[in-house]
Amino acid sequence: MKIDLNDWVSSPQELKSLLMGVRSYAHWYAQTTVKMKVTKDMSQTAPAVSQAVTDLLNTWFSQTPPSQTGLDELLALLQKFESTAPRITITLAAAAPESLKKQLTNWCRQNIDPNLLVDYRFSSTILGGMVIRHRSHVYDWSFKRQIMANRANFPEVLRRV
Amino acid sequence: MTGTIFLQIFLFIDVFIIGGLAVIALQHAVAHFKQPKPLANDAQVPIVADPLPQTVKENLVHASQTQFQAVLNQAAGSLQQDLKTTSDNINNLVLRLASEIVSNELERYREELSKLHNQAVGDLSGIKQQMVAHETELKAKVAQEYEAEKQRLIKQIDTKLADAVSSFLLETLKHNVDLGSQSTYLIDTLEEHKAEFAEEVTVED
Repeated sequence: MKIDLNDWVSSPQELKSLLMGVRSYAHWYAQTTVKMKVTKDMSQTAPAVSQAVTDLLNTWFSQTPPSQTGLDELLALLQKFESTAPRITITLAAAAPESLKKQLTNWCRQNIDPNLLVDYRFSSTILGGMVIRHRSHVYDWSFKRQIMANRANFPEVLRRV
Repeated sequence: MTGTIFLQIFLFIDVFIIGGLAVIALQHAVAHFKQPKPLANDAQVPIVADPLPQTVKENLVHASQTQFQAVLNQAAGSLQQDLKTTSDNINNLVLRLASEIVSNELERYREELSKLHNQAVGDLSGIKQQMVAHETELKAKVAQEYEAEKQRLIKQIDTKLADAVSSFLLETLKHNVDLGSQSTYLIDTLEEHKAEFAEEVTVED
């Protein structure tokens, strides 16, 4: 089974959530399978997982019946994706709406890396713009930095006013 | 100096002439008033009968005395006149020499005074030039210090102003963030730094 995880996750939190949901479901599935073999009780209720996990599991098992092996493969795929996918952190001046997150993530995946995971944070101290961190490298394109970097030009600008 | 020597020589000559005249006058006076010595051996002189009567002799003696007295008076008058002339000449000469000396001394004094005046003027001019140069140097130094202080104050004001404006912007914009209006700016920023950003991510991964 091959799926493109990029359609399902765009941030490390989403990947972690998917991983935890799938792991929880796999754990429940393993216990339920054993229990069904012993008690023949078919009334085991599945654990509550997020809609994204449900959609992922439905897609993953769309062509094959659910199995422990399939869940293990999905978990392995998620863990591999978690360990290999590049990730960056974008800090904005306020909590970013989903549309903006999507817009920025799409741009990054189209222009930088298709597997890129983007973590969003906010800090009002940067005033505007954004700060991007990739591992130890920080790109500070915030308003605050620009203002502070160009504060020596303020008197010149004021003289021209 | 030359004038003084000439005066001394002239005075010496005059004194010498006066001395000679005085000696001649004294000899005449002595010869006139001295009695002839009686001859020692009158007895041996033969007695000659006096051919002239006593009256004639007395008249002759009287005439001789009168004539001698006149000549003597004339000589004394002449001598007195010469002395007066000489004295006048000497006085005139002394006066002229004194005037000349005084004039020379005054001229020398004037020249010395002029030289001192010129030297004083030169010194004063040098002092004035030094003062002008020093004044110029001081003015330049003051102007330089003034300009440096002015630039320092301008820089200080600019720094304070920049800090104030920066603080104002930071305080103002902190509460007025609109991410919706920034989306285009954010994408443009990413596009602007796309190359280095992509290189950073792809190289390290």
